[in-house]
Amino acid sequence: MMSDQQIIEGCAKHQRKAQQLLYDKYSRFLLGVCLRYATDKAEAEDILQDSFLKIFFNIEDYSGTGSFIGWLRKVAVNTAITHYHKNLKFRYHIEIEEFVSVETGVSSFEEDFFTSDELFRVLNDLPAGYRLVFNLYAVEGYKHKEIAEMLGIDTNTSKSQYSRAKAVLRGKLQKLRTLKSNYSGGNE
Amino acid sequence: MENLREDKEFSDLFRQKLENAEVTPSPSLSSNLMRKVGMREFLRFNPARFNIWYAGAAVVAVGTTLAVILTLSPDKGKKEIQVLQPVEIYQGSVDNDLKKDLPATSATSGENRQSAEKVKKNGAPGTYESLSDRKTAAISSVAGTNQAAESQKINKLPATAVLNDAPDKNTLRTIKRSQSLIEVSVTEGCSPLRVVFSCLAGATDSCLWYFGDGGYSSLKNPVWIYDDAGEYKVALQVISSGLKSVYSTVISVHPKPLAKFEIAPENAILPRDEINFLNYSEGAVKYRWDFGDNNTSEMFEPRHSYRKYGSYNVQLIATSEHGCSDSVVIYNAFSSSGNYIEFPNAFIPNPTGPSGGYYSPKSDEASQIFHPVFSGVTDYQLRIFSKRGILIFESNDFNYGWDGYYKGQLCDPGVYVWKVRGNFINSGQFTKVGDVTLLRN
Repeated sequence: MMSDQQIIEGCAKHQRKAQQLLYDKYSRFLLGVCLRYATDKAEAEDILQDSFLKIFFNIEDYSGTGSFIGWLRKVAVNTAITHYHKNLKFRYHIEIEEFVSVETGVSSFEEDFFTSDELFRVLNDLPAGYRLVFNLYAVEGYKHKEIAEMLGIDTNTSKSQYSRAKAVLRGKLQKLRTLKSNYSGGNE
Repeated sequence: MENLREDKEFSDLFRQKLENAEVTPSPSLSSNLMRKVGMREFLRFNPARFNIWYAGAAVVAVGTTLAVILTLSPDKGKKEIQVLQPVEIYQGSVDNDLKKDLPATSATSGENRQSAEKVKKNGAPGTYESLSDRKTAAISSVAGTNQAAESQKINKLPATAVLNDAPDKNTLRTIKRSQSLIEVSVTEGCSPLRVVFSCLAGATDSCLWYFGDGGYSSLKNPVWIYDDAGEYKVALQVISSGLKSVYSTVISVHPKPLAKFEIAPENAILPRDEINFLNYSEGAVKYRWDFGDNNTSEMFEPRHSYRKYGSYNVQLIATSEHGCSDSVVIYNAFSSSGNYIEFPNAFIPNPTGPSGGYYSPKSDEASQIFHPVFSGVTDYQLRIFSKRGILIFESNDFNYGWDGYYKGQLCDPGVYVWKVRGNFINSGQFTKVGDVTLLRN
């Protein structure tokens, strides 16, 4: 068993074994991060591969003081952002129906009601721009000002993207909840 | 306000479920990635690695040429096969000498065989390692070699080995059952692991233990503490009425994880700021946080909002995959009041010699060392100047105070000026200046 420190040192020397160990240890976690930013698993794996290339070739940038896993996450998130910008031209369309859903008063989702698979799927179905902002704000915990700087957009754009993303997500989760409770109700 | 609460609840739902969610990548991804890495690495010109490439290429080239020369020389027909094989071994171990030996093919073959033999010999001592690790073999130099061989024999054929030279029926029976005479209190655990060994041999028999980490003991029931993680092969040698028998067992010591975290932002304003807990733990897979206000979390890096300032003791327990755990507590986080740092205005150094400056707050030496009493200080720098302005003492450690000596000499009685700078956990920077009188008995 190698410690993170040994793995990092090995990767800095471009040792294939250390790279493989790093991959084995963190690929599942990082794919979880990438999948939140992607439309499907194939796209997530593309992002993951690019992230690992960045990690392997820039591991010297990791200062050694912060949390290593936090650094890995940051690289993956940045790669996902780059990926989003690269594919931006294919993504100018926004489905109209998604503007229809307005915030309804009903909220309060019990956290154990949905599996993480379902949440992933709901996220994957979001338009890419919404998904990006939602992830950065809700999951990664960046502030709107930071997100605006990262994406080169206005702070207000970030806020409105987020609230729209939330509205869409809420609508989808409610649909999913009715579906699920109907299903389990029918079984009884 | 309602909206805000709901907002938080909603994002929490995604964060808790997905922040650390793991998804298994397709199996092909790993090999694809490694191929890409290899390609990029190859294309990146690196002078340090260039030599390796060059040397590698040279070895391959020389090897190929050699093979070609050998196949092309028709009159050496039979020798070819004999020669070719050792060359491969030789290539792997030494590469520069190869060029030198190239022209004399017949000589090479002789030398190569020798080197092949050497390789074999080098491989032989592996048997020590199989029984006990190298350190043990080195320390037990008296018994080392014999023991290694003997134990194997006995382990395999306990009955016959004894029958040959043991007429005593009693020993015969005990060993025939080939029961291990080793009893241990635990076979695995977290480091540092304390193990009580018991040698179940008769009262007149002698026991010699090798603990597998270089330590040994001739006590019957020794206690041994393994500080480092690892698999230790423990060997017990029992001499009973002139008969030697060896038993072994394995002790697994699991590494202890390290629990470590920081609170960010450092000088949070409550309840406005949400607190980030940055997790720097190592070797752990499970985490449990106690925020000190009756809230807990099991996330890797949770966030938490405190309603008001208070002396919260934030605890993190990190648990490894083997169930070993470590914990760390930050005491009195977020207490805005109650931050202070005070110094005495006089002290009497130890006249018999410099004490080094480290003190424990409750000991008597503490009064002989100039040091602060404080609470809620995160970092700190203390400087002491003489009346003439010479810096005679500096410390960045609260536990390291001034013992009244400068360059090994007790300082003259009189007034000295001190200046301290640092940070309070919640209210930010502070700077204080004052004087202290050095007294002598």
